[in-house]
Amino acid sequence: MISLPPSERDLHAYVDHQLLESDRRVLETYLAAHPDVAAQVHAWQHDAQLLRAALGGALQQPANPDLDPALIRQRIKRQSRRHLATAAVLLIAVSLGGIGGWHAREVSQPAQLPMADAMQAFRLFAQDGIMPADYKGQGGGTMQAWLDRYFNQAHRLPDLSASGFTPVSGRLLATEQGAAAMVLYEDPQGRRISFYIRPPGPENGFLPRGSRSADGLQAQYWSGAGYNYAVVSPADQPTPTMLKF
Amino acid sequence: MHELDEQLRELIPRLRRFAVSLTRNASSADDLVQSTLERAIIRWADKRVESDLRAWLFSILYRQFLDAHRRTRRYARMLEFFTGRDDAQPSVERTVIAQSTLQAFDQLNTEQRALLLWVSVEGLSYKDVAEILDVPLGTVMSRLSRARQALRQLSDGEIASPSLRILK
Repeated sequence: MISLPPSERDLHAYVDHQLLESDRRVLETYLAAHPDVAAQVHAWQHDAQLLRAALGGALQQPANPDLDPALIRQRIKRQSRRHLATAAVLLIAVSLGGIGGWHAREVSQPAQLPMADAMQAFRLFAQDGIMPADYKGQGGGTMQAWLDRYFNQAHRLPDLSASGFTPVSGRLLATEQGAAAMVLYEDPQGRRISFYIRPPGPENGFLPRGSRSADGLQAQYWSGAGYNYAVVSPADQPTPTMLKF
Repeated sequence: MHELDEQLRELIPRLRRFAVSLTRNASSADDLVQSTLERAIIRWADKRVESDLRAWLFSILYRQFLDAHRRTRRYARMLEFFTGRDDAQPSVERTVIAQSTLQAFDQLNTEQRALLLWVSVEGLSYKDVAEILDVPLGTVMSRLSRARQALRQLSDGEIASPSLRILK
């Protein structure tokens, strides 16, 4: 309900058709009796009309084929395939490189136990630290954008900031089940946790939510939105309590 | 195939118009629209279900423009420093006194142009605009009021455009 005399805001809301019907009627009655205020309002309405007319032509531009959403979608897909190809080459380089070769071979072995590859990746990259990151992020937002280039509409990166862990780097891997990525989180004490994502593989090996530990590491794993996920941390490190996804 | 594509396609003319009103240049406007569409497709999953698609796209486009604009301005300042002149200013337009609404509109600052386009031309609600700019509703209304006064005065020629002349 507006009060009279109307505030300038009410007058603008009137011009923009954002007043309630009852308020609009009240205001129109007021304007009829106050020609000076009405003139002001009409001038604004007139400007708005002129602006709509002046900018109307800009809607009639000839179509630009580069802006077709389907084409843009294809281009994005091509780009992520290229990124994945780069990642695959990187992995082959590691296998041949000797130093990481033994580990890398294990990474690409079919997983006997759920998400064994996620735990191997943690050993290889988080503990041994033998390879530089493919991507170093400045916070969750950019890391998510990096991950979104490769994984379409997957679960969001878990927010572990309540326990002091923030995403610091990302790595791409090729596995038997398809392209995978590992995002490494670190806390101020330098402790590490990884988030791992990959497709379920040709047998559609989706996992019931679960956890297991092996060789000093613990993994929580689950499936969703077409991918398998794991969060891996050293077994002697307390698991952040909010690890519920 | 993608229902989003169909909705995007329908909104492209509006996005291009908004982009032109920001960049004042058709080809950089289309670059801006293209990167907006890319981002929208990638971030589709992040969009809040209840938010209006048009307002969401406008907000992506506006942010991208501001980022690009900041970079360009830095570049222009650098260029000015090295060459002693400012190539980024459309000097002739700047000194022309506004004679029409469109000319007056073009003299408003970026946010005022965006506000008037969203509210007066596109008919977005104040609430949508408040979400795009991430400011309270009251702030939207007072900025809108200032933008309208400025447009009014410029169209009337009450204020001659800034008498600054770019000296070469």
